[in-house]
Amino acid sequence: LKPSVLIVDDSLTVRMDLGEAFELTGFATTLCSTVAEARSALLKGSFSLIILDVLLPDGDGIDLLLEIRQTPATAETLVMVLSSEAEVGDRTRGLKTGGNEYIGKPYDQSYVVARALELLRTREPGSAARSTTVLIIDDSPTFREELKSVLELSGYAVVTAATGEEGLRAAVDARPAIIVVDGVLPGIDGSTVIRRIRADAALRTTPCILLTCSEEPSDQLKALDAGADAYVRKEEDTRIILARVTALLRSAGSPSAVRATASLLGPKKILTIDDSLTYLHEVATHLRKEGYDVIPARSGEEALELLSIQPVDCILLDLVMPGLSGQETCRRIKASAAWRDIPLIMHTSLEEQAAMIEGINAGADDYIAKSSDLEVLCARVRAQLRRKQFEDENRNIREQLLQKEVEVLAANSARELAEIRATFVDELNSKNIELEAFSYSVAHDLRAPLRSIDGFSKLLLDDYAPQLDAKGQDYLQLVRESAQRMGELIDDLLLLSRVGRADLSRDRIDLSDIAKGVSEELRRKDPDRDVKWCIEEQLLVEADSGLMRVAFDNLLGNAWKFTAKVSAPRIDVGTRRQEGVAVFFVRDNGAGFNMEYAEKLFSPFQRLHTESEFAGTGIGLATVHRIVDRHGGRIWADGEVDRGATFYFTIPPARPGGRR
Amino acid sequence: MIRSRIILLVEDNPNDVKLTTRAFEKSDVPNEIVVVGDGEEAIDYLFATGRHAGRDPKVMPEVILLDMKLPKIDGLGVLRRLRADERTRRLPVVVLTSSKEEKDVTSSYNLGANSFIRKPVDFAEFIDAARHLGLYWLIMNEPPPRPESARNG
Repeated sequence: LKPSVLIVDDSLTVRMDLGEAFELTGFATTLCSTVAEARSALLKGSFSLIILDVLLPDGDGIDLLLEIRQTPATAETLVMVLSSEAEVGDRTRGLKTGGNEYIGKPYDQSYVVARALELLRTREPGSAARSTTVLIIDDSPTFREELKSVLELSGYAVVTAATGEEGLRAAVDARPAIIVVDGVLPGIDGSTVIRRIRADAALRTTPCILLTCSEEPSDQLKALDAGADAYVRKEEDTRIILARVTALLRSAGSPSAVRATASLLGPKKILTIDDSLTYLHEVATHLRKEGYDVIPARSGEEALELLSIQPVDCILLDLVMPGLSGQETCRRIKASAAWRDIPLIMHTSLEEQAAMIEGINAGADDYIAKSSDLEVLCARVRAQLRRKQFEDENRNIREQLLQKEVEVLAANSARELAEIRATFVDELNSKNIELEAFSYSVAHDLRAPLRSIDGFSKLLLDDYAPQLDAKGQDYLQLVRESAQRMGELIDDLLLLSRVGRADLSRDRIDLSDIAKGVSEELRRKDPDRDVKWCIEEQLLVEADSGLMRVAFDNLLGNAWKFTAKVSAPRIDVGTRRQEGVAVFFVRDNGAGFNMEYAEKLFSPFQRLHTESEFAGTGIGLATVHRIVDRHGGRIWADGEVDRGATFYFTIPPARPGGRR
Repeated sequence: MIRSRIILLVEDNPNDVKLTTRAFEKSDVPNEIVVVGDGEEAIDYLFATGRHAGRDPKVMPEVILLDMKLPKIDGLGVLRRLRADERTRRLPVVVLTSSKEEKDVTSSYNLGANSFIRKPVDFAEFIDAARHLGLYWLIMNEPPPRPESARNG
């Protein structure tokens, strides 16, 4: 999509000049001379950029800017305020009203365009992704067009330039992924272009192909010396150039990190502070000729106000001024974290060494006498900008190194963590396998002798009863009971261990059905007992049915057991809502327990009754606890001696990806 | 195949052998019980090889009581071999074991066991189980028709 610019200026010259410049850069332009015209243009179309004069025949540009900012459709549009008003007040008013840039007249045409492109580029979020732009720098229009069409056919975006200077500017604007430059050019030659590219932090990683006229070794050497990544003879087929472009792009890494640094060749802003309008004008004219944007300020106060709304690249500060002195202004600038890195050059008509020392002491980066030639001033400014650039680069490199170090550290610790985790998981797995093998042999090998003890005791009782008196038979009966009890203990322990290890397979199940099944089994085993069962319907949960069956075997088995000695035994199974959560319960009116021991209930081998009162292994509730725990639920109990017990538990819904 | 009325007991624990034989006696199962002590011998016996080379391979037991945990070749290994051979494919096999690990039960049935009995600690229960076993496999159950090769031989 073609970017569009609205230029609002009452001067025909400005409209023509900027209109032409933007059109050449590829913009669609709309030119207006009054506020009214601009309003109707804004109503009709939308623009990527608006260039706005302040003094217009039918109104104030800043008022129009306010309108633009208050209209939702244009609130975010880039606006560059262009004004002959050198007054700092206008500049601050423009920027505070929402102007993205303020450029004083007389302006430098190429600076305006370059700045506009830079603003648009930083605005576009996807700009960094346009990585396949090829910049062609060649003075022959025929060759340019030929190569351009070949590259465009292969899907590259192409930017062209006829001279080295134009090419460098285009490189800053377009940030091409690769540059193809002719060795022989009017003005600076191809090698110089590459050398300049290599000297610029923002561009130096851009691959460059140098086109040469000959296969002379000296030409090749020159190309490589300049830092070209490849060179191609100009006589070769353009498709060979295409192949080189593709190959180089394939091998080039992404230079995105380096792009954060502003380009040294990009547009720079210089804040000039002086109480003399004449001097300000003289310096501004000279610096603008060098391609800098000059922001004039008449006092230290104005300068500080300006700085607070607009960042600059360099400050030129007069030492002797009414109001806030140069020295004090300098001190304040250098005391601010946001401004202290901006190069500051102090200048004064005082020739004394003392003045210079005073300036440097206040924190100035350089000192220059007003009597010096303006060329010298420009050179100093350039030097300061370069120094600042290097500092930025260094800082950037330091930050990148630090970043890398942090990344490496993070990666290392993540890896270490993963390794430790893996070791733990391995260890846990092997322990589980070990435990499984152990449980298996316990099941087999511990039970076998028990079978013999019980079996042969029974055979003795059956076959040799006449030889044994009542006491002897009684003892043998005790041996059998102990063996059987140990068998139960082993079974319960194995179940407890299996419950902890078993894979949980959750389904939507009805606990009511499970409870009914268990109750029927208990009734069948002991048909003489008359217990009143109240099992609520539809106790729906998402749980492992096998494990829930084990839990109910234990809970209802307990309730059945502990109600054996009461007159009207009753067992309830149901649910109630507590703090928005479904709580299931199993209640009986049996022997109950002392709440003092409630904590002990769920630990293995903890029994609150003697074996002669109620038989049991003391593992059942530990198993239930583990089953509820495996489902992410909670279990607790409530009871009173001889008044029954109630066991409550929750089964929260399964979390996808949760522990299984 | 000749009906022998033999019960083949594959069991390595001599106490269990004694108790099992006694349990059958007590539950009035009069069949001859042949005992082999490990999986390898069980296979030798059934196919009349090795130590049992002199045996008539046509004489097959009525039912095999197979312990899971055995020296050399374990119960599941024996079962696998029996089910892979035409001569023993249809022999009734009852797996007898101490464990009630679900995976043991599943793999036994998957390999073609006809029944799975867990040896209880309580001997009275085991006598009951032996009685049911004898009643079902030796009296009620109609054995499969003899394989072609055996009938012609």
